Amino acid sequence: MQEPIVITGIGLVTPLGKGRELFWSRLLAGDSGISPVSSFDTSAYSVHLGGEVKDFRAREHVKNLEPESLGRASQMAIAAAYEALEDSGVDLGEIPRERSGVIMGTTSGEPQEVERFDDRYVAGDLRSVGREFMDRYPCHVIPAHMAAELGLAGFNLMIPAACAAGSYAVGQACEVLGSGRADVMLAGGADSFSRITYSGFARLGAIAQEKCQPFDRGRRGMIPGEGAAVLVLETRRRARQRGAHVYAEVAGYGLTCDAHHMTAAHPQGDGAARAMEQALDHSGIHAQEVGYISAHGTGTPTNDRLETLAACRVFGARAGGKPISSIKSMLGHTMGAASAIETAVCALVIEEGKIPPTINFEDPDPECDLDCVPNEARDQRVDVAMNNAYAFGGNNASLVLRRPAS
Amino acid sequence: MSYRAAQPESPQTGNPQTGSSQIPDRRVVVTGFGVVSPLGDSPRELHGRLCAGACALAPIELFDVQDLPVTLGAEIPGFSARDYLGEGNLRPLDRTARLAASATERALADAGLSTEDRHRLSVGLILGTVFGSVGTISAFDRRGLEAGPRYVKPLDFANSVINAAAGQTAIWHGLPGVNSTICSGTSSGLQALAYGADLIRGGRADILVAGGAEELCFESFLGYQRTGRIAGSRNAAPPCAVPFGAGRNGFLLGEGAAFLVLEAEESARDRGVAIRAVLAGSSSGFDPSRGHDGDSAAASLKRCISMALHQAGRESSALGAVSCSANGSPTGDLYEAQGLAQALGDAAGTVPITASKGLLGESLGAGGALQAIILLESLRRGQLPGIGGSESPEAGLPLGRLEPTPRDVIAAVGLATSSSFDGHSCAIVFDGEGGTNE
Repeated sequence: MQEPIVITGIGLVTPLGKGRELFWSRLLAGDSGISPVSSFDTSAYSVHLGGEVKDFRAREHVKNLEPESLGRASQMAIAAAYEALEDSGVDLGEIPRERSGVIMGTTSGEPQEVERFDDRYVAGDLRSVGREFMDRYPCHVIPAHMAAELGLAGFNLMIPAACAAGSYAVGQACEVLGSGRADVMLAGGADSFSRITYSGFARLGAIAQEKCQPFDRGRRGMIPGEGAAVLVLETRRRARQRGAHVYAEVAGYGLTCDAHHMTAAHPQGDGAARAMEQALDHSGIHAQEVGYISAHGTGTPTNDRLETLAACRVFGARAGGKPISSIKSMLGHTMGAASAIETAVCALVIEEGKIPPTINFEDPDPECDLDCVPNEARDQRVDVAMNNAYAFGGNNASLVLRRPAS
Repeated sequence: MSYRAAQPESPQTGNPQTGSSQIPDRRVVVTGFGVVSPLGDSPRELHGRLCAGACALAPIELFDVQDLPVTLGAEIPGFSARDYLGEGNLRPLDRTARLAASATERALADAGLSTEDRHRLSVGLILGTVFGSVGTISAFDRRGLEAGPRYVKPLDFANSVINAAAGQTAIWHGLPGVNSTICSGTSSGLQALAYGADLIRGGRADILVAGGAEELCFESFLGYQRTGRIAGSRNAAPPCAVPFGAGRNGFLLGEGAAFLVLEAEESARDRGVAIRAVLAGSSSGFDPSRGHDGDSAAASLKRCISMALHQAGRESSALGAVSCSANGSPTGDLYEAQGLAQALGDAAGTVPITASKGLLGESLGAGGALQAIILLESLRRGQLPGIGGSESPEAGLPLGRLEPTPRDVIAAVGLATSSSFDGHSCAIVFDGEGGTNE
């Protein structure tokens, strides 16, 4: 094997709180981060819940750039990046600045910036649109703001693979590190709460009225959310040299496209199954070795049924009896941040030997016959974890993490 | 994770299992081109018109420019996706997706990839863009504001994600492999090629359609005017978007789509298709000052170029042509010239350099891929378009060959560079001598 890539730092800004420790304890407690939407008026909608990040103050996190000059996703991403760097113990001052970079994922980038433009457009007030629209809105500015804030001159990229984007970002960061083009990479995902996203899913009837219930027979849909997650990635050799704590090794990943429908998954879960198979092949790991699966698990009737189908194609009936939980039951769907947060969760599951539950589980669905770790976290040693994510555009990603070799 | 990964999913191409660390990275070759641009929809036509000095900039007709001070842009006149895509329901595809799907159709056909091949060989798509379609996204949201959220259009919602054009194009053409959208400002198109090349080198894919697409729309047209980066948007000065031009005062927006078919060399040989060029080296970087510090901006591009040349195993003296991203920006063009000069050394005085955005407009995510196609067609034909426009280059720029008229290309190694105003840079070295058919 060539140089393995490891995760040495985790930073999180989520509807369950800021910071890895708070997030993890609330996740294991089965807490919910869902609440009535506060960032815009939902009175004209038939649904009102969202997974918003509460009490986030950019001024507490953004040190070098002007906090107010950044969109919310950039602000959250910078907060997560600082936490991840501190957690990793990486001293950026010791690394040539062109040897460290950022790859992020997103669904909508900075949607609140285009929404502000739209408000002005509808109000007939386009004259008041200034340079901030284009300085803040295009999604590539998120990793650009992070790199400008932190002084990183290496590889810099946004991969907006929608709700699977965080996994695409982590995968590409591994390629950059593995080929020796960087010493340290930050990778993750970010999205801010969006009227556009909310309206779209509401129109599709995909948002749950009361709660998100992945794999439950009575599940009624997803709940849109927001957040950011950033991981510090580096080669195992480098991590060992500096005596760093390692959460997990990225064993491999698979990326496929359904090429079927923009918003509906393939009816046999084809692309999803291929992504899992590719990820296992790439990792050199047998299906039996996987000890935990972080589900995409949005809580929509179709996603959870087809995801079950795909998992059973790869792992056998009941997905081989493997625990497969959806933290979206607690966070809602944090869109472009989701698969990055879930990658962090897989690393923490391996590290801590605890599996977060799928909450709000009441009534088993024969079409989702899985061990979804209902309602209660579980103590269980896990050596290999798989993170699955599926996105608009038929973009599928499966990422495999494993316990670092000691 | 092992970088040089096993590739057991595609035994059809007869690739060896590359799990051993002893096996070198695979060579990445170019086997097809597809382009839809304001100056033509084939590399030959685009190259010919650029060499003739044709300029696509004209008053915008696609949308109402309202009372904006600048009205010029480079539209694709009379673009109709039907001409490229034939029968089928085009309604789900917005303009960006139609441009992408049309250019992809040309690229797939050029590379001899049938519908059956695309599935069997698990062809993927890497699409560089800045916005996807901010026109679609904004229209979706405005509908909700004006009519109420219950009246938003589901079809538009599907296209409100930034990866919509890549998804729609994959659906249209049946491309089941890796599907990724790449955003790094105006370097997105080159970055998509570099990303695709990485995936092929590392054994993650055998065949990828890679490039970029961007539409002209009111939202970005207005938005960039408000930044002051658009030529003529400040001080009521007449627009001058001539790259490196003495009187340049910004860029003018354009649109288009351009894709290369990138392929592992052994896959191309197995298929028996012509290899047009080798993507021999690529590198990316970032200027944390984002153009506020000229030295930092130039150094960022210099590093990219040097690393791309190193990966290609070439000295700058081997270069026959450079296709760069200069677009008329007063500082951006200067920093690109400085970065090029620092990386190229003596060759900065002798290698002919072109920049086409003065004629084609700044087509954002498509721009880098258009640069690559112009470069490769120039290597093939032995002629590099001049830098169009009546302006003479700014005095004192450290580049020797910024002529307004076409130049002979005497070596088949080319360099494409991009330096984006939000800080991203990218460089790719193509080796035309690796081609087998010309």
